[in-house]
Amino acid sequence: MSTAALERQIRPIYDALDTGSNKSALVTCNKLLKKYPRNELIKALKALALVRSQKVEEALILCDEVLEVKPTSDATLTAMMHVLRGLGRHKDMVKMFEEAYKQQPLNEELGAQTFFANVRAGQWKSAQLVATRMNKQFQDDRYLYWTIICTVLQAEEPGTQPEMRNILYRLAQRLMVSSPTPSYINAERFHLHLSILLKLNLVDDAHKLLDSQVGKNICATNLSCNELRREVWKLKGLVKEEGEQAKNLITEKNDRNWLEFLSLLDGTFVELTGGEVAPSEEALEAARTNVQETKELLLRVVEKDGPKDRSGLLALLELEKRTRVHGLSDDKTRLVCLLKEYFEKIGDKACCYEDLKPYIELGSDELAQWTSFLDAVSTSFSTGKELRRLINVYKLQRYNLSEITLEAETTRATLYTEKYIEALKLGVDLPTTELQPADDLVLLAASSYVSLWKLTNDDGYLYTATALLEYALTKSKQSFLTRLMLIRIYRLLGAPAQALEHYRALPIKQVQNDTLSHFVLSRSSTFSLAATGDLTFATECLESTQIYLSNSQETGDFIIRAFTSEKYSQIPEFIIFEDRLENSLQRDLVKMEHLRMRLAHENMNSDIIDMELIELKFIFDRVHHDNRDTAILSDYQPRSSPNFNEQTLLFNTFEGFGFLRTMLKVYIRALQQGSDLDDTVEEKLLIGDRPKQRVDLASGVTLRDRLIVQPEEDLEELTQDEALLVEFASALADWLEVYHDYTRPPPAIVLAEASKQTELKTGHPLKGIEITSANGNGHKKDEESPAFVEPPEVVTSFFEDIKARFDEVKDANSPVEALHLAAVAQEAFLILIIETLRFKNQTVVKQNKLGTLVASIKTIRTNAISNLKDISTDLVKRGESEGTSEARKAFVEECSGIINAGIDHDFVLNIAKKETDARKKVLEGFGKGINRICANYTSS
Amino acid sequence: MSVLRPFKASDMFKFNNINLDIWTETYGIGFYLSYLSRWPDLCCVQEAPSGRMMSYGTSPQRPLYTTHTHTRPYTVLGKAEGMGPEWHGHVTALTVAPEYRRLGLARKMMNLLELVSDEIYKGFFVDLYVRCANKVAIEMYEGMGYSVYRRVREYYGSLGVGKGGRDEEDAFDMRKPLSRDPNRRSVRPNGRDMIVSAHDVS
Repeated sequence: MSTAALERQIRPIYDALDTGSNKSALVTCNKLLKKYPRNELIKALKALALVRSQKVEEALILCDEVLEVKPTSDATLTAMMHVLRGLGRHKDMVKMFEEAYKQQPLNEELGAQTFFANVRAGQWKSAQLVATRMNKQFQDDRYLYWTIICTVLQAEEPGTQPEMRNILYRLAQRLMVSSPTPSYINAERFHLHLSILLKLNLVDDAHKLLDSQVGKNICATNLSCNELRREVWKLKGLVKEEGEQAKNLITEKNDRNWLEFLSLLDGTFVELTGGEVAPSEEALEAARTNVQETKELLLRVVEKDGPKDRSGLLALLELEKRTRVHGLSDDKTRLVCLLKEYFEKIGDKACCYEDLKPYIELGSDELAQWTSFLDAVSTSFSTGKELRRLINVYKLQRYNLSEITLEAETTRATLYTEKYIEALKLGVDLPTTELQPADDLVLLAASSYVSLWKLTNDDGYLYTATALLEYALTKSKQSFLTRLMLIRIYRLLGAPAQALEHYRALPIKQVQNDTLSHFVLSRSSTFSLAATGDLTFATECLESTQIYLSNSQETGDFIIRAFTSEKYSQIPEFIIFEDRLENSLQRDLVKMEHLRMRLAHENMNSDIIDMELIELKFIFDRVHHDNRDTAILSDYQPRSSPNFNEQTLLFNTFEGFGFLRTMLKVYIRALQQGSDLDDTVEEKLLIGDRPKQRVDLASGVTLRDRLIVQPEEDLEELTQDEALLVEFASALADWLEVYHDYTRPPPAIVLAEASKQTELKTGHPLKGIEITSANGNGHKKDEESPAFVEPPEVVTSFFEDIKARFDEVKDANSPVEALHLAAVAQEAFLILIIETLRFKNQTVVKQNKLGTLVASIKTIRTNAISNLKDISTDLVKRGESEGTSEARKAFVEECSGIINAGIDHDFVLNIAKKETDARKKVLEGFGKGINRICANYTSS
Repeated sequence: MSVLRPFKASDMFKFNNINLDIWTETYGIGFYLSYLSRWPDLCCVQEAPSGRMMSYGTSPQRPLYTTHTHTRPYTVLGKAEGMGPEWHGHVTALTVAPEYRRLGLARKMMNLLELVSDEIYKGFFVDLYVRCANKVAIEMYEGMGYSVYRRVREYYGSLGVGKGGRDEEDAFDMRKPLSRDPNRRSVRPNGRDMIVSAHDVS
């Protein structure tokens, strides 16, 4: 049959794949494969349809068949590229393109694809070799530059030794010089050249390059190159020259980039930055003259710009601050004068507070002057400008409060609230999409109530804060700052449903899932009702992790695009971005939360244990980055006090790297003991590429060695009760390890079983596995079964201890502590289940003579269940008391202050109802969930 | 007044104070990376002296940087596009973080964009899209000499905030002629009545 006819028949497969009808694609493939059983393209397309239908095992077989014949046709390669990406087999993709390119060395497109496959796999060394070959073959400068940047990227890989790194940078530099065209023909190449010179510390060469007319032109129009220029000049000690240039830009070109002002100021004090303890009189004199000149220049700027631009005014403050640091200031009143002037001119802008913060840490005399100045500002307002001025006064006053006392803070909270209500009048006519000019007052008031709560531990202040903030949201629907505060406070109050509702009302999308999901997912398993089948939080976890999928699918494409468009300045940045997102701390914290929810929800079995084990082991080898944004929360607390973020963290702690490490160790150890997969088996069963090996680990350290150490500083990120859990889990694992190791079937048998399962599913046994004399479980043991040892006390007494802790906190005002204890107890129980699942199999027990051990485990489990049931009952009881009219009434009574200030009683009552209902729901739900888990695992 | 520096991919981790604002869309990472992989020299960030991100922007108009007069927080994403008399500068987005508003930033930024589109790119006009419901912004642009050229149906995904209906998902395409278009052929008086669907524009 002609090619055209075949093409016509294949067309529908593409259409089906494009529209996501994988099933119909499969049917067509199968039909065509009957006619053309050896056609590689149809096989590749079928593999793609299979991958997309999650039928990985079957896809693998076809995939290997196609790779075997070393395809070169464009269509097959493209289809296979998608298949291999879907399977995470980037290394095979490199191999496939390499083979094809080898067969057609004159095919430039294949060369480029081979290069890109290496880029995708992050293999810079082989990418460099491919680019070199392409440069020789096709004589295009672009390939030379690809070679150069790949050399640089290779140098920058974490595993590269310092000497090697230098050699690579020098190689890059030599290649750069060898280029037939100079680097300055385009800014991106120029940038690459400069950055290599900087890496090699060849400052003079870099300076020479920059000093040319072309170099100057590039820096004048390209921020990235100009950034490098600043660095070069600094390294070359050209502070004075930089200052002069900045002066020109500011005066001649009206440049108001703050960086230019900083350069101007650096230049002003250049005589004094040599590091001498006592600078010479000459130097001091020169500096004094400079200060005077700069001052005059800035005054001219201030005069020229008027209120339109605040650069000059702010630079005068910075000048004064630095003058003081150098001991050159002769006028003690000047700083406060400048502050006053700044406030008078810029005080009606929202940015005034942030602008002035660095300059108002004053000595007592000056502070008194400054404070009395602020105190004298009128507190009445009839325009938006006057209101903003007043808000700035409040913020500035508050920032310098030396301590918070109950009485004064109560007065302030009331004042902020009253002013807020009053200021709402200014915004009555605004459309609902606008922010209220009064919003900051309510944020101030809420901050104040939170401080009062911290001071007194009285939850009534938090009730007041929530009611007030909820009210503010009815006036200013889009105020995300208000919502973020509410989310934090609702979590403190144990009302997670309310927190989640507000979180969902925020426009959080895409990459923001990484930076902001901590607001609602941090320790969210404490609030998850997964055990009762309510997967709200579990779903939220999964949704927030979509972005990591997009990252792994998309970012690589853009790295390649940056290569094709020769944007060398961006390539390392994209790689950093990809890495920060791929190895995000938040991603894996959410993973841990989700795992806990999953274990509470699903029935434990060996599949869950094996899958989770492999995933956690990969995570354990990641070097994590913390991308979480907490700076987004408004902070108007005094500098003498912890900030709002710290004050409102659940359980007063924020999970970090140490927390994640510790929890990973606990779970990997438990899952590993519960699993039959050892490393050799895992290697055989793994489909995609392994993540890159970590280079910072000492050789000879085994995974087990890494799992059993729990450094003190890591444990500090845990709550007291989580630390108990870790202790329990470690003791349990230590105790049971020898029995697991003795009982676990040997790898050959596990593999034979896996192969059998695959064959049942796909009709083919697993590849590369020789099945020896596997005969089920009847393997003979050479050694005696290990003798029974009594369980450690940490294990046997754990559930009673936790119950006792629970009793201490169960009647506290906020139920979060009680929930936390309940969650810890539940988690400990589930870890016990993972650790003991193996010993439930009667045959295993008999064969290995573990009867005494099993009896001992049963005692522990029975005791755990009885304590858990008590906790469950108490939670449900507490939940019932939350849902009563008394609870609502108590809430409303605590809010009498704001009701008096003019907020409707019924509005507050409604908030009370929602809050207490949310509490009731989580308490009852969690209690019932524990009960269900108990029932699940009671039977045997 | 702010620090002006290049936009880097990792700035996506820092732009929440700008992007949580209702009028600012957070796009997929591909959106930002695609601008950066094409016009990195035209993507910049404005930072407060404290390091807090005030705004970011990309615009393919090279000399944005030579005249750093727009020293304020805004977001501009722009490109140059079109053929013949349609050659123009396009502002994909312009937004100012709430706390840095009323500093005249948007106006300055637009002045700059217009200057660049006019003198460097020799465009005939500058255009931008704005939600029909965003009255404040529309008035501001009108004050700067822009007028509605057409209304684009369902240009934005639904905002989901209720009453606004059509106005919330439809966009006005607003244009301002530059010196190359002295006869003002790129604008028309009855633009608000000219309705096209989102498919007709790209």
